[in-house]
Amino acid sequence: MTATLTERYIAATIKSLPPESEMDVRAELEASIADAIEARIEEGEGRADAERAVLTELGDPGALAAGFADRALHLIGPRYYLTWWRLLKLLLAIIPATAVIGVVIAQSLAQAPMGEIIGQAVGVGISTVVHVAFWVTVVFAVLERTGADTGVRWDVDQLPEPKSAGMGRGEVVASLLFLAVLAGALLWDRFQGFLRPNGEPLPIMNPDLWPWSISGLFLLIAAEAALAVSVYFTGRWTTGLAIVNTVLAVLFVSLAVSLLARGELINPEVIAYALGNGVDADAQRTLALITGFSIVAIATWDAIDGWRKAAHGKR
Amino acid sequence: MNDSGALDTHLQELRRGTVVLACLQLLRTAEYGYKLLEELAVRGFAVDANTLYPLLRRLEKQGFLTSEWNTEEARPRKFYHTSSDGMRLADTLTNEWLALTSVIAALTTEEI
Repeated sequence: MTATLTERYIAATIKSLPPESEMDVRAELEASIADAIEARIEEGEGRADAERAVLTELGDPGALAAGFADRALHLIGPRYYLTWWRLLKLLLAIIPATAVIGVVIAQSLAQAPMGEIIGQAVGVGISTVVHVAFWVTVVFAVLERTGADTGVRWDVDQLPEPKSAGMGRGEVVASLLFLAVLAGALLWDRFQGFLRPNGEPLPIMNPDLWPWSISGLFLLIAAEAALAVSVYFTGRWTTGLAIVNTVLAVLFVSLAVSLLARGELINPEVIAYALGNGVDADAQRTLALITGFSIVAIATWDAIDGWRKAAHGKR
Repeated sequence: MNDSGALDTHLQELRRGTVVLACLQLLRTAEYGYKLLEELAVRGFAVDANTLYPLLRRLEKQGFLTSEWNTEEARPRKFYHTSSDGMRLADTLTNEWLALTSVIAALTTEEI
């Protein structure tokens, strides 16, 4: 009784069903479709047209099969969506950045050319983003289909604290204190010495930096302090303050990194002293690289943070 | 989503549970899928075949319907019948429906 189109439709519907219900669904669908076609023929339609109309009305066999098997027609439904999205954001904030920094440090240590370092960093960055997004989504799609419990429950204690867009009193005090300690440490290093190998102070910072480069550094420290105070009194980060903050960060990075790169930041006598104590040149190079990257990373974060808070303050 | 799309969605959500109740009530006398579909249409329940057939199977799996193959006629057909659990469910749902009808009616006739 069944014609080809119907046979194909039924085959497409039952192929993804569990074997135990396959025969039953086939038999029932055959009867139902035949009944519907007959009803249309009785109303004067041609067999071919009737069959076509009935199957069109039944719709996508995949959807019908999902209905029979009680299967979800979405990749990640409302039950898992928020957990998936929060985890994905968290992992994307951490893993690609960590991988890129790792690759850059490793390639720099291997003395790879600049172009290659950048190329590798971009490649690794993109592929970790893709991998993280893909695997997290695969895991959640499987959870959605198996109905497993992630054990993640929301409760009121998870509500985020309202973020103040400006600087609290504690924050400005901490910021000023840090800058004061930094300035004090520079002075102490020069005149009292953290290292006193023979009872004489041996400055870690290159004494040749005095007075000009160090004055620049002190100026930057004073400017940072002024910025912290003005953010405190403005009550929030503004675009202007974010620009000043970025400029200060760029100045600091260019001063510190260029001195570091030229080998003028650290006292050569300290290096000689360290070499005498068994620190080899490779370790020294590694140390300089890591110091450089830390400076760049911290300054970049600081600049971005200023912009973020400025954007947040506008709302 | 345009206005008619939103309207369709609201109507669909309002009607969703009524098909289950209608099936449980009609299947107090055993019937097969296509016949039930026609019966529902005649009685004014707009339901598509691709919604009804999976629904019957789901209700059977949940124990609210029982089924039996009738092979006496030329075309073998699967007949569904409301089980005792199904009858209890139908009564519960009907009571709920009546309660809803009265509170909705109260909403529209209430003086403001």
